[in-house]
Amino acid sequence: MTALLLGALGLALSRFVPPALARARWTSREPRAAIVLWQAVTLASVLSAIGVVLAAPEEYVRARGAGPLGAEWILLGALAVAGFIVARLLAALVAVTGGSRRRRARHRMLVDLLDRAEQHGDVEGHLPAGSLRVLDGEVPFAYCLPGRSPRVVVSGGALRALTREELAAVLDHEHAHLRARHDLVLEAFAAVHRAVPRPLRSRTALDAVHLLLEMAADDAARRHHGDQPLRGALATMGGAVAAPPEAAGTGRDAERERLRRLDRLSPGAPRPSRAAGAAMCALAAAVLLLPTVALVLPWLLQARAGWPL
Amino acid sequence: MVGLGDLERDVMARLWDAGQPLTVRQVHERLSPERDLAYTTVMTVLDRLAKKGVVRQERADRAYRYAPTQTREEMTAALMLEALGATPDGAARDAALVHFVGRVGPEGAAALRAALDRTARGSLP
Ligand SMILES: [Zn+2]
Repeated sequence: MTALLLGALGLALSRFVPPALARARWTSREPRAAIVLWQAVTLASVLSAIGVVLAAPEEYVRARGAGPLGAEWILLGALAVAGFIVARLLAALVAVTGGSRRRRARHRMLVDLLDRAEQHGDVEGHLPAGSLRVLDGEVPFAYCLPGRSPRVVVSGGALRALTREELAAVLDHEHAHLRARHDLVLEAFAAVHRAVPRPLRSRTALDAVHLLLEMAADDAARRHHGDQPLRGALATMGGAVAAPPEAAGTGRDAERERLRRLDRLSPGAPRPSRAAGAAMCALAAAVLLLPTVALVLPWLLQARAGWPL
Repeated sequence: MVGLGDLERDVMARLWDAGQPLTVRQVHERLSPERDLAYTTVMTVLDRLAKKGVVRQERADRAYRYAPTQTREEMTAALMLEALGATPDGAARDAALVHFVGRVGPEGAAALRAALDRTARGSLP
């Protein structure tokens, strides 16, 4: 029974909850808490999968007897499968972090070579010393390279197209990504994504968390600069690159993300709310604790009584 | 005190501006008005850049000449496409960079590339 319930829970948390959570609008009230909720949902679904692998054989043996194979071997097999799941997760984490370290190192090397230092002017003030890089090009864009030696990269086009306030807000937004190590959050979700067998993979969680991280960085920037400069910057920069009219698929997604960010910066939008944040954190705790208390602990106590090893 | 990184950047800028392969001596001459550098330092920097794959060494008339492997515009466009997530290799790329406005994806990459080309030719408003 425990295995069945854990299986149903795992299925719900990995298949049905993510699309609903991604569509929900209340998450953007407090993006940082929403990210905690996503982490709880993802962790709980992984733990449910491991729980099923361990509980199903144990319950089978308890109900039907082990048969000719012997209870020890069946349960050792279950432990091996659970170990394999954990190993696969760790391997994915190593691959993702290693891959992005290498990619960043090369990107950083090239950005350093292409930098137009003479255009830095006085915009550097908001950033860690020596981290600003300016690239040629009229298309206005900005991004950051996280890590121990971070870079914030803007195009010459962005320096010209944005007002001083807009540029300061954009740099603050990037600085927030670096300060809060948003890259680590994203890497953890990318690792889980990679560890899931290909036919079951879905980008829902990864994309939703990406958008929430952007919102969290927006919130950090708007605390200092207000909503208006960010809105202006999003309008200018998004219009130029996010969605060329011919772009389909992810191009449209990028445009949808930009519109959702613009929405919450508009004058009538609900303000970030501490109550919403607290509710989401409570929900996150419940997602992890309730199944543990209601399902896993009773099963563990029962299984220990009949443990053959 | 100027860091090695700044020096590498300046050497690349001279090579890009030259528009033709340069010898160590030519690079040294072009840098000399602004900074007091040993000839061997320039040689070391060019060697490092060649190891990084951004500079190509070719031998002509008993002298080594150095040229960038890509134009400044090509290299900039490649970085920008990567930054916007338009490179086609899996979920790992999503974690590598964090940006201000969205990803474009492979579908949008062609359109973006075209926009960058227009920019490079200076015809974008
Ligand atoms: Zn961002």
